[in-house]
Amino acid sequence: MTERPYWIAAGTVAWGAIVLWKAAELPQFDQYAYVGPGLMPSVVGAALVFLGLLLALQIRMGVRFEEQGAEDVNDGHDVSYRMLGLAALACALPVLTMPKLGFVITCTGCFVLVAAAFKSRRWPLDILIGLAFSLLCWWLFRKLGVQLGGLLPAMGV
Amino acid sequence: MDSVTGLMNGFAVALQPQNLMWAFVGTFLGTAIGVLPGIGPALTIALLLPVTVYIEPTAAFIMFAGIFYGAMYGGSTTSILLNTPGESGAMMTALEGNKMARQGRGAAALCTAAIGSFVAGTIGTLGITFLAPPIAELAFIFKPQDYFALMLLAFLSVSVVMGTSKVRGFIALFLGLSLGLVGIDKQTGLQRLTFGVPDLMDGVEMTVVLVSLFAIGETLYVASRFGLHKPNLNPLAGGIWMTKEDWKRSWKPWLRGTAFGFPIGALPAGGAEIPTFLSYTVERKLTRHPEEFGHGAIEGVAGPEAANNAAAAGVLVPLLTLGLPTSATAAILLAAFQNYGLQPGPMLFINSGDLVWGLIASLYVGNLMLLVLNLPLAGLWVRLLFIPRPYLYAGILIFSLVGIWGVSNSWVDLVMMFGVGLLGYMMRVYDFPIAPVLIGLILGPMAEIQLRRALSIGQGDPTILVSTPLSAVLMTVSVLIVLVPAALHWRRTRKIAPLPEDRSPV
Repeated sequence: MTERPYWIAAGTVAWGAIVLWKAAELPQFDQYAYVGPGLMPSVVGAALVFLGLLLALQIRMGVRFEEQGAEDVNDGHDVSYRMLGLAALACALPVLTMPKLGFVITCTGCFVLVAAAFKSRRWPLDILIGLAFSLLCWWLFRKLGVQLGGLLPAMGV
Repeated sequence: MDSVTGLMNGFAVALQPQNLMWAFVGTFLGTAIGVLPGIGPALTIALLLPVTVYIEPTAAFIMFAGIFYGAMYGGSTTSILLNTPGESGAMMTALEGNKMARQGRGAAALCTAAIGSFVAGTIGTLGITFLAPPIAELAFIFKPQDYFALMLLAFLSVSVVMGTSKVRGFIALFLGLSLGLVGIDKQTGLQRLTFGVPDLMDGVEMTVVLVSLFAIGETLYVASRFGLHKPNLNPLAGGIWMTKEDWKRSWKPWLRGTAFGFPIGALPAGGAEIPTFLSYTVERKLTRHPEEFGHGAIEGVAGPEAANNAAAAGVLVPLLTLGLPTSATAAILLAAFQNYGLQPGPMLFINSGDLVWGLIASLYVGNLMLLVLNLPLAGLWVRLLFIPRPYLYAGILIFSLVGIWGVSNSWVDLVMMFGVGLLGYMMRVYDFPIAPVLIGLILGPMAEIQLRRALSIGQGDPTILVSTPLSAVLMTVSVLIVLVPAALHWRRTRKIAPLPEDRSPV
């Protein structure tokens, strides 16, 4: 069975349309440089819409989408959406917790979630390693001068 | 400053103990990430970008160059011993090298790979030393329209060459271009595509996009399809060092590999994959032992390894002389230069002579270090692969957060990390190439500046864009790159069209 992911084409067209719509609010031409601030976005938006339609046409003709190879990927490319969900949760976690709970706690949470997504079952050990590693990173990169925020911003530390 | 004096000054910079230390850190890190899956040179340099604010530019670039070269070495070690190429350029090495290791000739394969890399890296660096200054001189007479044509060519060739589908390559490119448009327009001060979000006024941070596409995308992709192949280590014991016969069979492939790698690496969209593949094919044709190919022929390791490293050196030529990145790693190096307020290009050789020549000299030093680090320690490096995967990928996510949160402590960046990470996952599943996104993001704004400059010089006359011989030639090549394959494809499909059986439902 050939998969027909029309939604990718639709997404491309939609993003192109948004770019075009925002570009239309800007002047297309300019007295001095001739190319106004809106011209490039217009061109890029139009190109995206065109390419999206072209992709839709290709999908209709039954073009194949082969998954890219990677290391540590099982041979059959079998997908586990549970694990994908866990990993995605780990990547979304900082959005929720980073400003309030700070770098160390957020990273510990991410660490445990990713470890779980890779089938680690040793929760207490994961939490311990995650906490130690996050603290080490926080301390080390602070020493190097990277601003990573306080230890626990919600408490004012 | 001519090349020889420049290089001498460069060595004076590169051999300072502090810079030697940075070169060592770079080569060490580079080898490690070359061995590890899920993390490559572009990503590592991106993650280290926040640190650059606090170390001086020369030291930072010496370290980055070490990472860049080191990753190539590390990739070959795991290809040979474990049949897992750590990065794409080492794929061809795995073919013959792993067969050699299975026959107990792993030491010889490692040896020819390391020495071949050293030879190619050194010749490539010589190439940079003597080619870069004249090209930089030449670049002085480049007009804005020449730069614009050059960038257009880079855009088109990157999208056409990389990946399997041109449409998907172009979608990736225009996606990158659209992200590059976000922010305040430099010429008029108007906001573009910021959707009223103040954090977006400075534009989309290159680091955020790169880290999300590579690290987050890869983590999601591997997590959803995880399956560990237990690495079985081929013992080095009992292997013989390179024999006289091996040397005799290796030195020509080294040189031929370099001859493929360096020029192709210097071309837009050249990359390391094409020259390694070419080198493998040619060695297979030229060998006197064709029966050994596919069963562990030393030429099949020597040639591609040399090509791989020479290509890495070649990529630095357009980057340093024209400010033109031709690979993902080069794009992030360009971003690093911009972080320091430096603009790679002809002026760089004049304004920051110490930095450029120190960087070039450190490439010689780094190559030597890598040879020492890799030959006797190959067995140790491979141990890195036994890091449990849950902790490896969890660690990669934490480093990514350091890289992204450390840039500007912006919550919007974290949202973008999640969104672009999902995009990176999708691009892997549906086979969209990733490099065009980055090239579009970083070169797009530069191309727009050159276009505006050219047009304001020409008072709005668009023919100015092809008014110099160079720009005319480059424009023609750009058009041909798109039209010729399309025309060929059209002819082929027309020939097939009368045979409706071919279109039977799959």
